[in-house]
Order: sequence, then C-alpha cells, then structure tokens
Amino acid sequence: MCLGIESTAHTFGASLVDDRDRIVTNVNSTYRPPVGVGIHPRKASEHLASVADSIVKTALSTKDGSSIGPDVIAYAAGPGLGPCLRIGATVGRALSTFLKKPLVPVHHGVAHLDIAMSIAKARDPLAVLVSGGHTSILVHVGKRWRVYGETQDITLGNLLDMFGREAKLPSPGGLSVSREAMKGEKLIKLPYTVKGNDVAYSGLLTAAASYLRRQGNLADLCYSLQETAFAMLTEAIERSLVQTRRSEVLLAGGVAASPRLREMIGSVAEDHGASFHPVPVEYSGDCGAQIACSGRLGFESGVKVSISESFVIPRWRMDEVDVPWIPRN
Amino acid sequence: MDTSKLTSTPLHRGAEADLSLATIGPWRVVIKRRVKKEYRNPSLDEQIRHDRTSSEASIIHEARTAGARVPSIVGMDIENNAIIMTHVDGTVARERLDEMGISEARKFFRSLGEQIGLLHTGGIVHGDLTTSNVIVSPSGAPFIVDFGMARRSVETEDRGVDLHLLQRSIVASHSKDPSSMMNAMIRGYELSAGKKVASSTWRKAREIARRGRYFAIR
Repeated sequence: MCLGIESTAHTFGASLVDDRDRIVTNVNSTYRPPVGVGIHPRKASEHLASVADSIVKTALSTKDGSSIGPDVIAYAAGPGLGPCLRIGATVGRALSTFLKKPLVPVHHGVAHLDIAMSIAKARDPLAVLVSGGHTSILVHVGKRWRVYGETQDITLGNLLDMFGREAKLPSPGGLSVSREAMKGEKLIKLPYTVKGNDVAYSGLLTAAASYLRRQGNLADLCYSLQETAFAMLTEAIERSLVQTRRSEVLLAGGVAASPRLREMIGSVAEDHGASFHPVPVEYSGDCGAQIACSGRLGFESGVKVSISESFVIPRWRMDEVDVPWIPRN
Repeated sequence: MDTSKLTSTPLHRGAEADLSLATIGPWRVVIKRRVKKEYRNPSLDEQIRHDRTSSEASIIHEARTAGARVPSIVGMDIENNAIIMTHVDGTVARERLDEMGISEARKFFRSLGEQIGLLHTGGIVHGDLTTSNVIVSPSGAPFIVDFGMARRSVETEDRGVDLHLLQRSIVASHSKDPSSMMNAMIRGYELSAGKKVASSTWRKAREIARRGRYFAIR
C-alpha cells in the first residue's frame, strides 16, 4: 500500500494505491484565488499547510473509520512552487520517520502520465501532458520520457488561466473559457504559431487580451481562442504521431478535462489508427492518487531517498527522470 | 492544373498532406495534396491549407534557385491545395540512418549541414527540419523535402529553430552518438553559411533548446 502526497501548486492531496494498482482512497483540497488574481505561492502554501493534517487522516481511513498503515510514503518532489512543495515534503518526511517506512520522491509530471497509463492500461504511448505546468508531447525511449514537442513559452494551462483573469472569469480559466466558448460561433483571426513539433502561445495571449480590451464579443473570443490554441497543439501531436508511429495516444493533465481538446486529439488518433486514452476527468487535475500511483511504480523499481537527501526540486524536467517501468505490461 | 484528373498511385500519408505518384510527359511527379483536417474549424483549416500550399511552392522554387538539392516545382493546383513537383528517388533519412555506419552517417550529416547552410544563406528557413523530412538519394546525397512550414527569413532565431529541431529529432530517433552527428552537420553548415553565421546560429539553437520548461540553468 503506497501513500502519495501531492502539493506542487494549488492542491494538497493524499491517496492510497494498493499493490495491484487500485486507487483505495483519494482526498484533495484545492486553493482557489479570488477572481482576477493568480496563485500567490505563499497564500497557496498556507492553504496547503492548513488542510494537510485532515486530508492525510481522511486518506488513511477506511469507510468504517479504521485506519490503514501504508508501506511506502511517496511525495511530489517537483516541479512546482517552492513554498508549496516544502509542505508536502515535510509531511512526507514526518510520516516516513514516524511510521519507519521508505520515502519515495515523485516527479509530478511523470505522475500525471503514470496514473493515466494505469487507468487506460496503456503500454507505450505517445503521451500528451497539458496542464498549468506542462504542455509537452512525449515518447518513452530507453529509460526516459523524451520531449518530442513542447511549448516554447507559456503552457496551455497558463494561456487559459491568464486569459481568464484578464476577462475576469472565475478560476480555473480552462473551464470558464470552455463554458463561454459554447456560446460563441464566429472565428476571430488570432496568431497560429506551430514551429515543427513545438507551439508558442504568448502571441496568442497578447492578441486575445488586446481584442478583449477593444470590447470585443467575449463568447466569440473564447471560442476562437480555444479553437486556435487546441488546433495548434493537435497539429503538433499529429506530426509527432506520424514521426514516432506509436499506436496509442495518451492525454493527461488538468487541461485534459476539456471536451473540445479531447474531441480534437481523439480525431487525430483515430485518423492514424491509434487508440486514444484520455485520463478520466476526476484524475486529470492535480491529485494525491497520481503521486501514490507513480510512487508505487518507482518503489518497485528501487527508487527511494533518505530523509537527509529528500530535497524538493522546483525546476525539474520530465526528461531528467529515469522511468524504467515503461513500457508497461 | 487540375490534379483530380491525373492518374496517380498513393505514395505516402503524412501528417498534413497525402503524397501520390503520377507521370506527366517525361517526368515522374509527386502530387502533394493538403487534406482537410476534421479537428480544425473549417474556415481556419481552409485558410491554413491555402496559405501553406502557395507559400510552399514558391519557397521550394526559391530554394532550387539558391542551389539547394530540393525537388523542382512542376505545377500547382490551388483549388485542391495541391503542388506538383519532381519525384526524388531514395529513402527517408529517418529509416536509412539506422543502417548507416558511424563514418557514413557523419559524412551524410556534413553534406546535410551544407544543404541547410545553402537554404539559410538563400534567405529560407525550413521550419520542420527532422530526419523524416530528408531523403537520401541512392548515391547518398541528402535532399531536403517538405517545405510546408518554411518561411523567408534571415533571422538567427528562425535559423536556430531549424538546427534545434534537427538536433532533437536526432536525439529522439537515433541514439547512436548524436553529438558527433551534430558536429559533422555544423562543419558542413560552415562550408556554405560561413563560420560567423554558423557559430551564431548554433549558439541560438542551444538557447532555444533551453527555453523548454523547468531547465534549472538558463
């Protein structure tokens, strides 16, 4: 039984995953900044610290109220906001010391893919990770995920959140933009930037924000922003899929909850005879279960860390982590 | 030219276009037709396909004029978003490279670098330079194809993107000594673009690679 602790940005989560890869408990609490304001790292970390105790307690309890003792403690070591990462790492170290159980550091992005793969039973996919922290197209080569394409500036999650704030829409931006987009129908011309397998979103954000300030129609703008941003990424995915010839396409991360993005990527996968595995919406956003799932796989492959070496790594690339448990069988 | 009336056989299905083979007079030609993408909004889709088709045809022609080994444009079918160009005989580098020995591969990358330098000094950047977009002729000479993302530019930034994309495709697809392959490529690039351009472009390419997320050192 592996306990996973997530606290990389706005969410504190704790979850238990058993030895057969089943999610036993998954308890999360997310900090929501006021409308028009982004995540303040200190305020987010204060929220995480205030809920940590009760979240862990709930995650370690069965329905009838008895408590479960984990065999392994996994914590999200990075990437993320320093003050937030330190909360989860502190809880992880404390539990590991008190329960005398091994401590496993987990890469938050790798964990997004691990939980999506576990649920989909995917083996060796072309993986697409879209969130506030990542917008990457990855394939597993050798022992690591290799970045085949990615954003050259801001992530898709950043784009939608930052635009949402400009438009005074409630957080998370992706959900608000998607709701508005359903009312829009006219396509406004916005910058479409694909560079090989990479995308760049900052020009699109600037153009959308300046259109907004000229009192343009918000629904049409949200519709156009979504159509343009998603089509750019989908084009890069199609290109990567043709080049890597994978037979599975995995979609993970917070923005994977978007129905329109799922529809677009699903259509490309189908077109090239690949199966499509979007992560279920309830596990798309940051959660304890992803860390527990990845921590269990890591521990089985021999990953663990001593308390004195259990650092947090705010900047940590996907392609710097050994992931020997892929391809999965 | 209306390509829909030509007898052709399918050759390859790419990410954004279908390629087919046909014969016009003495030439074996390739028809590159940009197909409709269901995932894209129809007006955005039409605009992208039209813009890329016309820009690709004129850029290939310019690249040929600049002395690079690329196909020759035979004609265009704007209504069907199609280009007709001469067929390049050979194998896609992505596949051929795995069969090459180290010294043959180095020689190949040196010659490829020289071709890229010719494009860049001719004011053209490719925009999607991967080993999938290079054809190795039976004599071993590289032909650069697929100018769908190409643009006219003399900016170091855009030239750097080309080298960055090529490097990443080498690292991701060919694990055999990627850094020595890139070194050979740069030496070839110097031959046609000059030392000064080569060093600034390569510096920029490394900077672009570090722009990705979460690099500890920038």
